[in-house]
Amino acid sequence: MRQVGIVGVGHTKFGKSTVPFLDMLCEAGLQAMDDAGAKTGRKNVIDQVFVGSMGSGMVSRISGAASAVVDALNIRPAGAETVENGPASGASAVKLGVMAIASGMNDCVLVIGGEGMRAVSGWEGTDFVATMLHPVAEYKYGCTLPSFAGLYTRLCMDKFGVESKDLAIVAVKNHENACHNPVSHIQRKVVLERITNPAYINATNPLVADPLRQFDMCPVSDGAAAVLLVAKDKQEEFGFGDKKFVRIAGIASATDTHVVANREVPTDLLAVRLSAQKAYKMAGMGPDDIDVAELHDAFQILEIEEAEEVGFFPRGEGHLAVRRGETKIGGKIPINTSGGLKAKGHPLGATGVSQIVELVKQLRGEATDRQVEGAKTGLAVNFGGFGNNVVSTILTTK
Amino acid sequence: MEQMYAYKCKKCGKLHHPRYIVCQNPDCDGREFEEIPLEGKCKLLTWTRVYNLPEGYMQPWLNFGIVEFENGVRATGQIGFDDGIESGMELVSTVGVVRTRRILYKETIDSQEYGFIFQKA
Repeated sequence: MRQVGIVGVGHTKFGKSTVPFLDMLCEAGLQAMDDAGAKTGRKNVIDQVFVGSMGSGMVSRISGAASAVVDALNIRPAGAETVENGPASGASAVKLGVMAIASGMNDCVLVIGGEGMRAVSGWEGTDFVATMLHPVAEYKYGCTLPSFAGLYTRLCMDKFGVESKDLAIVAVKNHENACHNPVSHIQRKVVLERITNPAYINATNPLVADPLRQFDMCPVSDGAAAVLLVAKDKQEEFGFGDKKFVRIAGIASATDTHVVANREVPTDLLAVRLSAQKAYKMAGMGPDDIDVAELHDAFQILEIEEAEEVGFFPRGEGHLAVRRGETKIGGKIPINTSGGLKAKGHPLGATGVSQIVELVKQLRGEATDRQVEGAKTGLAVNFGGFGNNVVSTILTTK
Repeated sequence: MEQMYAYKCKKCGKLHHPRYIVCQNPDCDGREFEEIPLEGKCKLLTWTRVYNLPEGYMQPWLNFGIVEFENGVRATGQIGFDDGIESGMELVSTVGVVRTRRILYKETIDSQEYGFIFQKA
């Protein structure tokens, strides 16, 4: 199998976009091309574009987004496909890019993840996201993703002793990290006391899906992120020789039951565990090899439970590690140095690519004030549905 | 009144909810199911009260729960009361309107969907 790596990254500022959806995708894509030194027109070497987006057609009203991007960027006749896998659309698009190059079908692939979430009302956006739930057993009841996060959090509280304060500690950490990331949606520190004090918590941190409060979940964001993938054996020939080659050592996805109620052990995130195990196996690595991780904290409980499922902490002890500060920058395993979905934002289809962009910055030593010293290997977990389709990716400069 | 069902695989007997295309028993490949009424007592495994509801709901909040019926089948549904909800409590399933969709085209049509609404036992 050919070695595949990243030679260029791009990332729009997450939050409320001032430009149309397609322009946002192109901005991120062009940044990744410029970062690598890739040319357009006759000098173009990109032979495939994948765009990961959950709602390009449904929310942004753009079908065939990848075809439109190829034309706008003047990189025709590159192949173009749009990939939809819920909130894991971005990492799925990266996975397809890796498969395309590793197989020999393509040599250079531009992957863009993007979402325009704020073009519609909050009610419409909530309803759109909920369409990934089972239509008969879940969606028709009015269940939303926060609903399932609330149901899941209560199970983890009952079984493992996770407390509301643990979720708040994760939020405070991620907001702190986001202050050092210029592309984050929310660059504002949060004080633990302010969001946990029972005397005024209902004013500063209201309930959304009991026991989850506003600061226990991510905001609604627009944004796009991009990576340029190339075969190792084409890096020099294509003119990317002076860029650090961040190798994709492992990438894998796994699935779980669509109906959350039907999971054998309701507190397990089986698809997270299995996708991580497959990615570790492909990379010939294990959890001890990971220096930095981007985990899918759409809800803060997920950062805690995913950290256990990927093997950083024993099952049921992730919240204790959070209390000890082991997931902060400088801790045993820094998690969500970008600010995570919590504070960097979560434009669904962009998120999986954005996580990988952050790892590339970390592994190149370009993460400025949030840099993890000596980071050489990173893990990203992109969580689709309520955990029924997960993609794990391992990047390394070793 | 609408009836909710479990779906019993005609080959191995495994009970399912909702309806599947292929039996979920990893050692069975059954594709035919018998409808079995899914009703009666159940145990609340977990619950939430949601204040941020999607398009189409006018209530200030809704309560949701995952229950396990006495035959082992699990299901998600709405909880029809507000006070004293606790994980582990015994409930009884009823069936009611869980979603109304208003379709506006020449004349207004309300399309109603039925599902589980769990009540105190």
